[in-house]
Amino acid sequence: MQLTASTLQVSQGTPPATRTAMEQRNAAKLKGRKILIVDDDRINIRILSSILQNEGFVITEADSGENALAQYAAIKPDLVLMDVMLPGVDGFAVCRELRERHGDNAAPVIFITAKTESDDIVEGLAAGGVDYLPKPFRRKESLARIRTHLQNRILSEQQKALVEQLKAANQAKNKLLGMAAHDLRNPLASIRGLAEFLCDGTVGQLTPDQLDLANTIFETSQSMLTLLNELLDVATIEAGELKLHKEPQNLSDLLEKAVYLNNINAARKNTKIVYSPPEEAPIVRVDQAKIKQVIDNLLSNAVKYSPPGSTVNVRISGYHPAYTVAVQDQGPGIPENERHQLFKDFMTLSSKPTGGEKATGLGLAICRKIVEAHRGAITATNLPQGGCEFSVMLPA
Amino acid sequence: MKYEGKILLVDDEAHVRKFIALILKQLGATAIFEAANGRDAVEVFQRESPNLVLLDVNMPIQDGIQTLREIRQLSTDCVVVMLTSLANRQTVEEALSLGADNYIRKDTPKDEILASLRQTIAECFTTD
Repeated sequence: MQLTASTLQVSQGTPPATRTAMEQRNAAKLKGRKILIVDDDRINIRILSSILQNEGFVITEADSGENALAQYAAIKPDLVLMDVMLPGVDGFAVCRELRERHGDNAAPVIFITAKTESDDIVEGLAAGGVDYLPKPFRRKESLARIRTHLQNRILSEQQKALVEQLKAANQAKNKLLGMAAHDLRNPLASIRGLAEFLCDGTVGQLTPDQLDLANTIFETSQSMLTLLNELLDVATIEAGELKLHKEPQNLSDLLEKAVYLNNINAARKNTKIVYSPPEEAPIVRVDQAKIKQVIDNLLSNAVKYSPPGSTVNVRISGYHPAYTVAVQDQGPGIPENERHQLFKDFMTLSSKPTGGEKATGLGLAICRKIVEAHRGAITATNLPQGGCEFSVMLPA
Repeated sequence: MKYEGKILLVDDEAHVRKFIALILKQLGATAIFEAANGRDAVEVFQRESPNLVLLDVNMPIQDGIQTLREIRQLSTDCVVVMLTSLANRQTVEEALSLGADNYIRKDTPKDEILASLRQTIAECFTTD
């Protein structure tokens, strides 16, 4: 007749009623787990083996340190019970060696010690052991300790698997996001362009009502396009595909162009961007398009959050090997309690654009990622006279 | 400046052709021929011998890069401007090395596309 776990427990004198339902479930889950017992004392091994086998564990034995390492490699146990005093290599050394070889994936090691050897206990824990079993063995206590550590191991394995799953899921999400954004961009760009043709009268004069509708189509597709581009950037950056093509660039020229273009938009709010170039040409090794994106973002933000009629001041400071672009606005500044989320994904602050512009909450997060990929730094400081200064430090 | 030569506009997406064609008309172009894939483009090219080709990269049947190769075998002096969605650096570099004269990102605002085309035309068609 095959012995079932319950008949064994009865024969061991443990009435099932003393176990809670949860304990029973946990015990069942641990059945079949592999335990390696390392001890040169045959009697110890026999006692432990019989206790553990009755609980459904699969036992392998080793009588020396060398043997233990070989058995470990062969069966990959879920837990190791290790005597300290072994012929040849001692238990501590074996434990250290296991951690050396397998790192955090090493099975938990429980040392077997005589009750009084407290030095052994300390050294065992220092060698990477997770616990100790005092001799003589008390069945219930030994089992409880062994189960606890097996359960911890299972939980940590499950956690690792979960983290891997989540990583894969996040990658898949980024890929999908990238594909969707990419495929939506072209048609949207055409819609924007065609609406613009309607607005500017190229294809015939519109009535004021029609013009209003066409303008709405133009502006809406424009802001959708911005959002899509930013989503695409986030997907690219998160997927680790932000590739920089660094070439020596005159930072001042980059700024001058960006200031010129952004002033066109700023003029609609009667805001002026003023740039005072430095005396010496600041040459930095950067990805031109990416840094242009950062500068554009800072300039358009400065215009966006400053009241109409403001002046945005832009300058370059520093000298080789690091230059700093500083953009000063006349907006409300960054509320102190929101400062920590300024450069995070999808974080918009309580301050709102002053001309009905849109904020996606991605612009500064992307800026930070681009600047950091250049080994630079981006910071924001409130100015004593009001407003805020965003500065980007770039190594030459 | 006005551009009155023949233009071949190649893109598989009708909305892009419509959009770019409007820009070309603003440039003064009147003779615009269209094709929706590379194979048709080569056919139209042989028939019409345009001076300017606007060529999409990603197209069914035959892509823009292969089409560029074939066009360059037929003519070395027509001007070819690639139309790209995201300016994929590798694709752009490959196209330029195969003899494309310039490229335009299709998601660029219309006035910038207009300016860029004007510049290309001024550079490539001014004989003095």
